[in-house]
Order: sequence, then C-alpha cells, then structure tokens
Amino acid sequence: MEAEKLEFFNPKVPLDFQYNNRVGIGIERYLRGLGERKILGSKCPQCGKVAVPPRTVCGKCSATMGEFVEVSQEGTLENFTVGHVQLVKGQRLEKAESPYVVGLVRLDGVDSLLLARISGVDPSDLKVGMRVKAVWRDEVQGDYADLDHFQPA
Amino acid sequence: MAEKVAVVAFKLACAPDLHTTRERLVFNLTRGLFDELGIDRHAIDSFVMNSNDFLDGRTISTVFLDAPSGAYLKDETKVEMDGVHAVMYGWMRIMSGQYETALVVSLALTGSQVSPYVYTQYSLSPAYERQVGLLNELSGAALQAKAYLSRRGYSEELLDLVAAKDLELAAKNPRQIRRLENAGVERVRSSGPTYEPLRELHCYPPTDAGCVVLLASEKKAAELTDKPVWIKGFGSSIDTYFFGERDLTRSPSAADAAKRAFSMAGLTDPAREIDFAEISALYAHEEPLLAESMGLLPEGEAEKAYRAGDTRPGGSLPINPSGGSLGAHAPCVGGLMRLCEAVLQLRGEAGDLQLDGARTALVHGQDGICAQQNGVVILGV
Repeated sequence: MEAEKLEFFNPKVPLDFQYNNRVGIGIERYLRGLGERKILGSKCPQCGKVAVPPRTVCGKCSATMGEFVEVSQEGTLENFTVGHVQLVKGQRLEKAESPYVVGLVRLDGVDSLLLARISGVDPSDLKVGMRVKAVWRDEVQGDYADLDHFQPA
Repeated sequence: MAEKVAVVAFKLACAPDLHTTRERLVFNLTRGLFDELGIDRHAIDSFVMNSNDFLDGRTISTVFLDAPSGAYLKDETKVEMDGVHAVMYGWMRIMSGQYETALVVSLALTGSQVSPYVYTQYSLSPAYERQVGLLNELSGAALQAKAYLSRRGYSEELLDLVAAKDLELAAKNPRQIRRLENAGVERVRSSGPTYEPLRELHCYPPTDAGCVVLLASEKKAAELTDKPVWIKGFGSSIDTYFFGERDLTRSPSAADAAKRAFSMAGLTDPAREIDFAEISALYAHEEPLLAESMGLLPEGEAEKAYRAGDTRPGGSLPINPSGGSLGAHAPCVGGLMRLCEAVLQLRGEAGDLQLDGARTALVHGQDGICAQQNGVVILGV
C-alpha cells in the first residue's frame, strides 16, 4: 500500500541539533598525549591487553584499566577501504573530491585496531600487512587532528 | 499465560519518497488495517510504537503518533530499535496473559525527510569515533566486507552474486522500491563505488517506510484470520561496542540470537528445518556473513553456495526470496519488512515469488554499525 500523494506536504522545515559531550579520563589522557606527539593506550592489569585509545574497563576481563602507557607509533595495516564518497556531517552522501583511504592499524604491542587515514601512498599500492607509521601535523594542539595520518614506514 | 501468538495481519508502505507526513502515514496504515479486518482501535489491547526520536527529529515522538494510530489512552509503549524487537515486545505482552492483541506501529522516513545514516552515525562514540570522522555506516560496512572476504578466502565477485540474486528477485516484488531491469552481475559491477569493495548496488537504497503488524493470542487470532502465522521463537544479542576490538569477519551476536531463537522454537537442525530466511542484509556481504554466523550456511562455504544457486528460490535454503534489504530498507521498519515478506510466503500469498512448501521461516533484524545488534524470529504455520 502506498500513501496518497499530497503535494501540500512537500515544503520541508529544516531541523538542527548541537550536542556537547564531556570526555572521560581515557580520552582526556589520549588527547593530552596527542598534544605531546605521543599515542597513549591503557593496559589491563589482569590480562595485559593494551587498548588504543585508552578505555577504563577491559573488554575481555572487565578489570579496571588504570595504567596508561605510551605505545609505538608504528604498526601494521590490518584492513583498509578506499572511499569514493563522503558522508558530510554524518548525513549527506556526496562524491569525494578524490579517493581517500580509511585504515585499521594495529600498532606494535597494541591489541585493538586504530582507525586512521592512510596517506602518502597510491591506494593501488596498499596491501594488508604492510608496515605503517604515524605522521603528525606540524603544530600539535591536543586534538584528534594532531595524529594526521599513517603512511608506509 | 497465553499458549501461542500469531501474526494475523499487516500493512506496509514504502517508497523513495512517500510524499506524506509521519502522522498521515501512521493514520493511513492503521486505518487501512482496521478497515480491512472490520475492527476499530478498541480491538487493540496494547500498542507498541516503533520509531526513533533521532529519525523523527523530536523527543517522545510517539505523542504525535499515538492519535493517528489510535493508541491514545490505551496501553502504549515504544521500541526505538529494529522492528523485530517491537514484535518481540508485543508478543511478550500477549504471552503474559494480560492482553489478547498488540499492534506494532513502525515508521522511518529515511528516503525523503532524514538521512538513513543518522541512525548509525549517532550510535558511534560521541567523544571519539564521531570526532575522528572516518567511521560511518558505509565505511564500516566496507571494512567489514573486506575483512570477511579476506578471512574466508572469497572473491569480491561474491558481493556481485549476492546483490544480483537479491535485485533480480526485488525486481519481481511490488513491495520493493529498487526494481531494476537487467539486475544482473554486470549491472551491479558497473554501479559506482562507495567505499571499496562496496558499490552502490551492494548497498540498500534510502527508503521511506511505514508498517503496522497485528499480533494476537491463539483465541483472538481465530477470530481475525484464517491464516495465522505463529511466532515460534525469538532471540536477541549484541556485540562488543568498540569497533577496534570487534572481529568483523563474523557476527557472534547473530550466532547467539539465532541459537536462542532455534532453542525456543525447538529446532535442532535449523539449516534443514528452516525452509527460507529473510535476513536484514543492508550491504551485500552481510547476507552470507550473517547466514554463516546463524548456522544457515557452513562457514567458508558461502561463495560455493551462492555460485551453485543454493540460496535462490528452489535452492537448498533460499535466502531473501523477497529480494531482501537491497530492494528497500529503513531503520526500525527494516526487520518488519522482512517479517511481512516471510508472512506472505508462509500464507502462500507471495505471488510470483512464492516458494513451494514454505512452512518455517527465519526472520532477522539488525541495528548498529556492521550489524552490531541482532534479533531473530522464527515463524511457522
């Protein structure tokens, strides 16, 4: 069944929302670390697992991950996708100006995968398992954009 | 306590743009169902509203939808997740013995009024993933598709085979919105890339959708229909939240949900006992991935099964004989679209898409990035 078409209802009223979210201690430490060109993770006192960005409770054994550790800035590209579109503000799907790479990087000694932009390499040369290293932006400011991208090591 | 609960009737509407308001959509569907059955709102003991405030752009959105659906001053509650959970809720209310009937009222105008991707986008970590900006429903699906194909040793052609199978069926289904001519592997392969390896026709089309589903106790069902479809089992489960810690190559939560549903329905060899499955596969890779995880296909055998036509109508286990979610999908309503298609099959009313001897069906609904939460319903006649 299709609802009857009523042209009267075509005008649309735009809505917009703004939320703020106070970060927890794990993300706070992570952002402070980025401001010092460091990548921080949290370490589980029970199973030894290291998560980046830090989380406060271990997903595996539910222990409090109170210890923050600096981790390697090099790792392995575990997975990647070449994006030909972008989702503007998480909503509007548009064609990307040029293809870009979203990767999942396993930093050495870390158990979780880090989402990262992969640059400085032709996407057709990318391979799962290749070594990559972090590239920082010139002036770090203590926000996510400091860790600009990863490129082949 | 009630013994059995049936799906007795439904109304479904979907289009790229339904050209209507949320209130009018709900009114038309509910009124249409009532008129068809010759009942009014007082025949409904319990209303389970199924929409999402993020999609409606207002909180406590049901205050605007209760009047057009007839739910005002009745037992009324709300489910903000996939519609299969709303069905589960309505089913439990009847099973409690307190109610004889429950009406699920579901909608999402994600074709014309709001982006369908908002639903998943706002499920991501507000302080991290949403700020970093790389992860969204589509890029997540692509990463999952790639990880899955690589782990199982499947070729990317499997994605085209799945999508072509679904879109060829969708083309024959009047309830689907993406009805393509020549919807074969070549057509799928020539659609534009989104995030590799996914292409446009591997992804569901943004859809306006609304659906009402009437559930009833055994006693009441006998008064309302000659063709009751029984809810035999239900299972629900959710994966870990942190994207970087998920094994994307399989779905532990779909496996768990299916196991619970099979157990409740008394199925011991589900791959044989289930005649067909309607799976909410929003992206082509999800169909074999979820089918494997739910035990419908042996792990590692999916590409072989798709190439052999096992998942087509007439095959050993038809999956999405309706054309599935690649033909039309909206949050919340998605699982109900699959449920309605399964009900038509089980009643023998699926027209050109009718399977022979369909008596037991698996219906699946999902929420969250890369099918993070899964719900499974077993239906039977």
